[in-house]
Amino acid sequence: MAKSSLDKKFDQIRKREEEKTFSTKKRSRIVNKFLNNRLAVLGLIIFTIIILASIFAPLLSPYDPMRVDLRSMRQPPSFDHWFGTDSTGRDVFTRVLFGGRVSIFIGLGSAILSAVVGIAVGCYAGYKGGWIDVIALRISEIFMSFPQIILVLLLVSITGQSLFNLMAIFILTGWGGMYRLARARMLSLREEEYVQALRSFGLSTFTICYKHMLPNALSPIMVNITLSTAMFILTEAGLSFLGLGVPLNIPTWGNILNVAQDILILQNYWWMWGPVGIVISVFVLCVNFIGDGLRDSTDPSQQG
Amino acid sequence: MTTYIIQRLFIFFPMLLVISFLVYSGLELSPGDAVSHMISPELASTITAEQLDAMREAYGLNQSFLTRYWIWLTSMVQGDMGYSMAGGVAISEIMVKTVPATLELSMVALFFSTILGCSLGVISALKRGSGTDNSLTVAGMAGVSIPEFFFGLVAILLFAIELKWLPVGGRLLPHYETLWDRIPNIVLPSLVLALMMTAGAMRYARSSMLDVLAREFITTARSKGMPEWRVNILHGFRVALTPVVVLIGFRLPLLIGGSTIIEQVYQWPGIGSMFIRSVRASDYPLVMTISLMYVFVVLTASLIIDVLTALIDPRVRLGKE
Amino acid sequence: MEDKNNIALSVRDLKTFFYTNNRCNKAVNGVSFDVEKGKTLCIVGESGCGKSVTAATIMQLLPTLSRIEEGEIKFQKDDKIINIEKLEKNGKEMREIRGSDIAMIFQDPMTALNPVYTVGFQISENLKYHTNLNKKEIREKCISLLNDMGIPLPEKRVDEYPHSYSGGMRQRAMIAMAMACNPKILIADEPTTALDVTIQAQIFELMDKLKKENDTAIILITHDMGVVAELADNVAVMYMGNIVEAGTADDVLRRPTHPYTKALLESVPVLGRGKNQDINPIKGSTPDPYNRPIGCQFAPRCNWQTESCDVMPEITQINETHQVRCHKYEQFFEKYK
Repeated sequence: MAKSSLDKKFDQIRKREEEKTFSTKKRSRIVNKFLNNRLAVLGLIIFTIIILASIFAPLLSPYDPMRVDLRSMRQPPSFDHWFGTDSTGRDVFTRVLFGGRVSIFIGLGSAILSAVVGIAVGCYAGYKGGWIDVIALRISEIFMSFPQIILVLLLVSITGQSLFNLMAIFILTGWGGMYRLARARMLSLREEEYVQALRSFGLSTFTICYKHMLPNALSPIMVNITLSTAMFILTEAGLSFLGLGVPLNIPTWGNILNVAQDILILQNYWWMWGPVGIVISVFVLCVNFIGDGLRDSTDPSQQG
Repeated sequence: MTTYIIQRLFIFFPMLLVISFLVYSGLELSPGDAVSHMISPELASTITAEQLDAMREAYGLNQSFLTRYWIWLTSMVQGDMGYSMAGGVAISEIMVKTVPATLELSMVALFFSTILGCSLGVISALKRGSGTDNSLTVAGMAGVSIPEFFFGLVAILLFAIELKWLPVGGRLLPHYETLWDRIPNIVLPSLVLALMMTAGAMRYARSSMLDVLAREFITTARSKGMPEWRVNILHGFRVALTPVVVLIGFRLPLLIGGSTIIEQVYQWPGIGSMFIRSVRASDYPLVMTISLMYVFVVLTASLIIDVLTALIDPRVRLGKE
Repeated sequence: MEDKNNIALSVRDLKTFFYTNNRCNKAVNGVSFDVEKGKTLCIVGESGCGKSVTAATIMQLLPTLSRIEEGEIKFQKDDKIINIEKLEKNGKEMREIRGSDIAMIFQDPMTALNPVYTVGFQISENLKYHTNLNKKEIREKCISLLNDMGIPLPEKRVDEYPHSYSGGMRQRAMIAMAMACNPKILIADEPTTALDVTIQAQIFELMDKLKKENDTAIILITHDMGVVAELADNVAVMYMGNIVEAGTADDVLRRPTHPYTKALLESVPVLGRGKNQDINPIKGSTPDPYNRPIGCQFAPRCNWQTESCDVMPEITQINETHQVRCHKYEQFFEKYK
């Protein structure tokens, strides 16, 4: 029988083993597995590039994202304007850079803050149980009975539009997921023996909960944060596209896409909305790659 | 089995009640009092002060909050949902006109995405590590990363404007007569929606399948001399089905939310685009009522999923594990 | 060599390597033994010594990231000899052998049985694929199998799910499933580790009965020397991928010639000897499979280790039935003369 590619791979590994030429680097196994995941590494690189570009936006572009220049309206991409200009003459590339600041801030910020809230409540509720747990559980269930977009839109209609309102709403709708995760981990870890041991040593609930049990739940939490970031960025983009997210005077990636609602612009001025959409997709894709890589590398049951 | 269903119903109704209470409180807090929402504008313009007072009496406005809530609730259930602030149209009429459109879109998308997603996910799992698996995985990740409205816009640009194969949006035109006429309009929005959902479903199906394939009873099935297809499908996929069904159920809220934006992009006259319109117009009665309806749908869907799960997995039925 | 008609299965120089994490683990590194018809062969050893892998190799049930490197597995089917290692892993011939000629039962019956199908369905699968019985006959056979295995109310039980069975009953059901087509060899991989000791006794009684009534050869994999003493006709002691000593139960248990076998026997407490009896644990621990000692694998833990142990000892045939892998076997065997 001809040798399959798997067979050839095996032969290679066996040869290396017998000649003792395999690598024995002492790096942590988790880091190793992550770096072996090419997509995750690629994602991390592009992710960092985009974030740095957003942070250093003023340095990267001579234009003011807000400045209107009626003489250069609706110009296609050129050497002067890499992404062209929009309907009021603003440089699109600059707006994308500055928009990135806001969008990423909202996405990452909301994800982290809702994680903090969710973990704080989840750890305590999961460990202690009692009426706090029941109340928090019911509240999170209520939130989960709404489709996320609907809930966000509902709250936006009540509170009005602003950057901080939006983040607050995101945190309000997002804490539930992390809460359940943390709670579930706490519930399972609570019965572990080392927790009983810690209790018998007389350590306070706070210490046991946050100092000893939390580190064990860290990896799914990290994965969840990356996935939440992706979700929030997409949601913000969708809302701002509809004009219901961040107010239009602050550039965000979604806001820039807002112009595409006009069919004229959609058809004739692709540079005003196309590149932004691609940037959003690429960024979120990278975040997903990283999240997936984190999940794979910290999951002990994955085969090599 | 029946006890299981009854248990679930015990959670369903109180939850619905609580949320309806919250919604009603929201209504009370918004500008305008409850009665003005319940009177049609034509009536309002001709009504006298005494008649208004009498109506207030009838609606219990002079009574406690709870009584008002109760009256509102009972009229809701009977189909009287009040009136929209913006157009003065009866909300129930709005529902009747728009909900079928949304259902059409969602069901088509759900159907295709489930079948496609599950099959691709299973194939991916069975060929783990191969080129097929890798490309499907990346495609899946791209699917959940691209904003749906962006994908929708690109699709419109490509298929409707440039290629002119399909209409730009809308659902019905006056000259449409048969079902066949309506198909070109539903293609783009449902396809876009379905592709987004497929990506997610595929990832779940794949990971659930991989999970199951690593379990001991798969080896047992092989040890009996079963052919691979039987081991993978009859034993593997069958057990992988339960978590996939549950996860698809959890994605229902996403489907509903996703269809909201797609409806807007394609000017599809469903409840989603209506909701967006009402938010823009700060039409609180409509906003609240539609939200409540969404919640009802989500809770009902959860209930159905729970029952389905019990049917598929005997362990759940008998209350074990 | 024994009379060929006596041997159901013959394994020669079997090597199975695992390839996970880009490393090569020589889980089974040159193993040879024979399985006699109607007799019980116990393969004993600590966790990780390769005994389960050997069983999986015989049935070709190895995971994807592993393969049979070298060796022969000769199976006596009807009147011809089949080389199992040459068969395609999930091909038609191998699948014919699985279930009907060689069957296997696993350690934990709860996870080894499919939770969404009834016990009757899972047993009937075996019959459906390997026999020509019709539906009614299959159902009757399932019920009679459950009855033979000592499960009460088999007509009712056959339509129930695994989770409504008790632990011992589940294992009986698994044995029923394995024995459905009257296999010539039954491989039992630590079948009672997950069960209570009292149930353990019942299961082994059952297996012994089957052996006698159906002339089934049994390969029993275990880490429990007590079980070996009870049930074995023949014994093979494994350590880190090699058989260090093999022979009849009498040979190995009464005249242990390998330091490891001796150490194993001495580390088992004996009921009745009181609390001051000498329990001698084996010093050290099993080596990392990726970082093995050179030569004899047991040398670092052996009390009689010398320089010559840097070379893997060959198999020495002490007498007709008894073989051992040790440079120093003579000094041990002397004592028994």
